[in-house]
Amino acid sequence: MATVYKTLTNNDVTSTRTLLHEAIPITGTIVSGTYGDFGSEGNVKDFSHEMFQSVYDYPYLSSSANHIFDIAVGYATSALGNNMSDTYHNKKVNVYNQMAQVLMGYDHTGSIREFDQDGDLTGGSKITGSVFLNFSRLLVKDEIKKGSFSITFGTGTYADAFNGVGYKVGDTNAATAYKVNSPAGEYGILYEQSPSTNTVPIGLIFYQAGIAVLNYTDRLTGSADAAGTDTPFDVDSETAMGLLTGSYSPKASANAWRNRIQNISFNNTVELNSAVYFCRANHNEFNYSANPTYISGSKIRVKENPDDAPTSYITTVGLYSSDNELLAVAKLSEPLKKDPTNEVTLRVRLDY
Amino acid sequence: MAFLDNSGDIILDAVLTDTGRMRLARGDGSFRIAKFALGDDEIDYSQYQNTNYVDGAHASGSAYYDLEIVQTPVLEAFTNNTSNLKSKLISISRTNIQYLPELVLNTIHPDGKINTSSPNQNTFLVAVNNDTEVALLGADGELKNARIQSAMAGSSVSTESSFRIILDQGINSNEAGSNSTPIPGDLIETQYIIEIDDRFGSVVDTSGQISAAASFIDDDNIASYFLTLNTDKKFIERIPPVPAERTGMYPAISGPLGTRLQFSIRASLDLSSNNYLFTRLGGTITIGSTSFNNIDATVRVTGGKTGYRLDIPVRFLKKA
Repeated sequence: MATVYKTLTNNDVTSTRTLLHEAIPITGTIVSGTYGDFGSEGNVKDFSHEMFQSVYDYPYLSSSANHIFDIAVGYATSALGNNMSDTYHNKKVNVYNQMAQVLMGYDHTGSIREFDQDGDLTGGSKITGSVFLNFSRLLVKDEIKKGSFSITFGTGTYADAFNGVGYKVGDTNAATAYKVNSPAGEYGILYEQSPSTNTVPIGLIFYQAGIAVLNYTDRLTGSADAAGTDTPFDVDSETAMGLLTGSYSPKASANAWRNRIQNISFNNTVELNSAVYFCRANHNEFNYSANPTYISGSKIRVKENPDDAPTSYITTVGLYSSDNELLAVAKLSEPLKKDPTNEVTLRVRLDY
Repeated sequence: MAFLDNSGDIILDAVLTDTGRMRLARGDGSFRIAKFALGDDEIDYSQYQNTNYVDGAHASGSAYYDLEIVQTPVLEAFTNNTSNLKSKLISISRTNIQYLPELVLNTIHPDGKINTSSPNQNTFLVAVNNDTEVALLGADGELKNARIQSAMAGSSVSTESSFRIILDQGINSNEAGSNSTPIPGDLIETQYIIEIDDRFGSVVDTSGQISAAASFIDDDNIASYFLTLNTDKKFIERIPPVPAERTGMYPAISGPLGTRLQFSIRASLDLSSNNYLFTRLGGTITIGSTSFNNIDATVRVTGGKTGYRLDIPVRFLKKA
């Protein structure tokens, strides 16, 4: 009996999971200085609410622009020295609490859990003032690859931020040592990687959320142990810690940080789930064709006499539903000869 | 020691067709891959250089017969579901077949003629309302020879003068035998798939009284009708090899006979009740001194078992 379809059994279908990684380098020239004068670049978008600042890879009014990341700053209400009457106090507390709610969740009393420096939630130091780098889904894809994240800051003066050795932090050893006690997925601890290797936590990187939380209160600004207290950090010679207070707008802090971002680098991850269909053409199957050129006056062209082997050439595989509707198509790179002397198994992969 | 050839398995990346994406988005479980077919759309078998080749066999021997064919470049996949696998490979366990059956449009039958005169050459006509039927076929009861060739009554139950589409299946070569030679059982087509744009019309039997049920309508409004020999006897019948039993059937096949599919087309209410689709997709033609709005479409018929496929041009007409 002639037939053109072959039913796929359970033995002909399997599924696989594959992780794909892309290297994402973000150079400081895109973050600051390429598209106009600093502070008014075309690729940096400020909002009237001033809760965060967005960075694009091209002037954002262009349809070619892609969103790279957002910068926001915030502090916890428990942070010392905060003045509730400051203009931006509420906004900064709001941002911190929002991020903490999403990334750290709540403690057993229902209170928002503050970011923890070393991921041990039973005690230890907390991160009470932070700069948040929220990377776009376009770059992060499914997640940041553990152990691949690093960010380098310039430690020079405001006007010459990249003079001298950069201060590089990254998720050292996170490929095998990361935390799972966050409601937003896995996260790693950021440590200083250069100029020296340090085991003091600098911040956190949430891999699935694609958010880096940098501790404002530590060595981050590169001025040794009393970080941020003495290095002029912005155009007004204000220090990093000074900018964190509610007196300064989040935009001022974001601009100051952007001015010092020399490089950001990570690998993203795409999780590909595939179904693999084994399309098996046995020796006595698919040797004839319904191609109109296959016959001339009903006579098969590829056969000179009835005893010759029928031959066909495969170029396409179609995957069908039970009611013969074509759902997916795969193509071969070149015609594949099929005759009764050979069998072919075409593995057709459908990615989701 | 040389390495063994490990190229037996080939891995290919598939793309979802538009219908596949639609079913996936529907989320009702209708996206389920159950079977596969192999196609050879790009292949021109007339380039196979054996003794059947127009310039004779390749001088270097049978190893070179398919030299041109294997070098054929293959196109990337189309995502339009109806643009792929137009010709499929067939599984027949026998290898000693010299002749394959085909589908032939029967234009010999007095009621199956395709139009042969301008401006409707080589097309079937479908009258979408009563006025158009009268203009093309004459008032009911008029002589058949007054009708315009290939016109179908697409609005009412078919008049006696309505034409129909007739397709004969069989081995179209008298080298394989005559009409009286029985066709091998594994080469008889028993299922046909008719595809037609559902916005324009639907499939009915030749009396116009029995509508076929569409199996599904895809994202491009193409309705597919599955008709089977034993259950759709108004549409499909065997063409008997015994001459006395096929009197008046006018088979278009010159060799062993298989089955006949015949049907008519009922115009959609959208076409009969307003001119929107005519304005958007069609034009205007004049037949004799009468103007008609027209839409040109294609009805595709595919053999469910043998995969042979035929595209039939159809013109929907509405008296302006």
